[in-house]
Amino acid sequence: MKTFLIVLIYLVFAPLVGGLLYGLDRIITARMQSRVGPPVWQSFFDFSKLLQKENLVVRRSQNLYIFFYLVFIIFTGTLFFTGGDILLVIFAFTLAGIFFVLGGYKTSSPYAFVGAERELIQIMSYEPMIIFTAIGIYMITRSFYIRDIVAYSKPLIYVLPGIFLGFVCILPLKFRKSPFDLSTSHHGHQEIVKGITTEFSGPALAMLELAHWYETVFLLGFVYLFFSHHILTAIAVALLVYFFVILVDNTFARVKWQVLIKSLWLVAIIFGLGNIIVLSLLKK
Amino acid sequence: MPIKKSPWLLHYDASSCNGCDIEVLACLTPLYDVERFGIINTGNPKHADILLITGSINEQNRPVVRNLYHQMPDPKVVVAVGICATSGGIFADCYNVIGGVDKLLPVDVYVFGCAARPESIIDGVVKALDCLQEKQDKRRQVIAKIKDVQVEQATIADAQEILEVQKLSYRSEAEIYNDYSLAPLIQTYQELMDDFKKQIFLKITVEGQIIGSVRGYESEGTCYISRLFTHPSFHNFGLGSKLINAIEQTFPKSKKFEVFTWHQSKRNIYFYQTNGYKTTKTVKVSDQISNVYLEKPGQDAAHYL
Repeated sequence: MKTFLIVLIYLVFAPLVGGLLYGLDRIITARMQSRVGPPVWQSFFDFSKLLQKENLVVRRSQNLYIFFYLVFIIFTGTLFFTGGDILLVIFAFTLAGIFFVLGGYKTSSPYAFVGAERELIQIMSYEPMIIFTAIGIYMITRSFYIRDIVAYSKPLIYVLPGIFLGFVCILPLKFRKSPFDLSTSHHGHQEIVKGITTEFSGPALAMLELAHWYETVFLLGFVYLFFSHHILTAIAVALLVYFFVILVDNTFARVKWQVLIKSLWLVAIIFGLGNIIVLSLLKK
Repeated sequence: MPIKKSPWLLHYDASSCNGCDIEVLACLTPLYDVERFGIINTGNPKHADILLITGSINEQNRPVVRNLYHQMPDPKVVVAVGICATSGGIFADCYNVIGGVDKLLPVDVYVFGCAARPESIIDGVVKALDCLQEKQDKRRQVIAKIKDVQVEQATIADAQEILEVQKLSYRSEAEIYNDYSLAPLIQTYQELMDDFKKQIFLKITVEGQIIGSVRGYESEGTCYISRLFTHPSFHNFGLGSKLINAIEQTFPKSKKFEVFTWHQSKRNIYFYQTNGYKTTKTVKVSDQISNVYLEKPGQDAAHYL
């Protein structure tokens, strides 16, 4: 019964929180560029507009992939917030990403092709760090279950600072922000039009937005894990990390894919693997 | 929530001197900040609601502009920014310039000026938002009614409108074969009047607007059905099936019904097959195009077999 309640709360409130965060993001970004910016509810206006628009497709099946992307993102979040297995969470998350890539390929647009290929490279570059995060957490808590990790008595951040930093480094990529927004060309950069999302319009694009909101909440939940000993601190840190990502977004230009792979793998090896090696040395 | 709260904009420079383009970009800067209204400059027609065109239309960019417009999902509005986009401006007499945007697309808002000031561009876009909302409301009404529409017999007074919708509908076929001289596209009003003399025309009307039609005639027991089309904005509402059923019922005594389409029009062939038609023969009419003939036995066919 309790699990059911959590799922229900997640399904209803995650998009609300995600959409609101995205609205805040746009205001903060505007303020950083000394503009006024849109109302905070703007992302919901966009969402409702997209639902009302005509659904133009190249192939009808392209929207099916996006539907599964949404379903698996929701599944990932549900598993995470009900305290499921962290490995399963990561695999479901990757599967969702793959459906997104397949959707991009299905549209046969050259821009979407470039976007889909870049997205694959992105998946390749963040995946090691996510795996190291799971391994690091397991080494401390001796459990892959989120409910055990949350219940762990000591704060994870004290023993996993490297892993935390590494995880924060891959967040701009998952939030589709500079310097790692290669696949979708978010904001004003339009060299591949809108990359992987180029051929999606109306309701399909709305599904993508919705999935993005769920994803945001899920990833901030991951940040929460590191500070789960104190709820308020954890929420504050999650919001701070979100602000940091926005700041980075407004400060940095986009990198090339070579730099993306090199830098994120370097981060994964130094912060992720480094942290794990130090831990195992200290244990002896 | 009203659709006008989130207008995403596509800016296309037709053949402007860049004066207006710079002013359009100035709208995005901190001084004017159009994002206050939720406006995003998308650069992707499939995400856009407003097509903002600066400069006049010329022979080079005519297909591009038309393409961009057709790639935008409904509802959509067109804003012509600057005097060149409204009338051709000082370029109007150039040999390659066709004129303002309205020579090609239905323009909803004209913004004057050379170059148009950012204030007036914002004014124009905000005006366009009301047009957008209006179009959305109308589209909603039409979609709400579309399920109950009836097929009626067309009269000679409908000829002009049928011809216009026909040319709009067959454009997708022309794109498949890259041939803009297909018979339905170059049919003249006079030829259509001749058709009216020997064929029965059916039409579907919604809100006083014709959105689909078909014609047919009977000769020696065979009913020849042709020119079945629906308005491109109203596909996938089952109008095609309604039309074909209606024309079959118009000729209840026919032993068989015959239609033809072109060989690469897979959607058309599929449509006829789902309505009980079977391919009988393929006849080559030119290097690029073959006619595919499909037949279906009439309701009384059992008597004759």
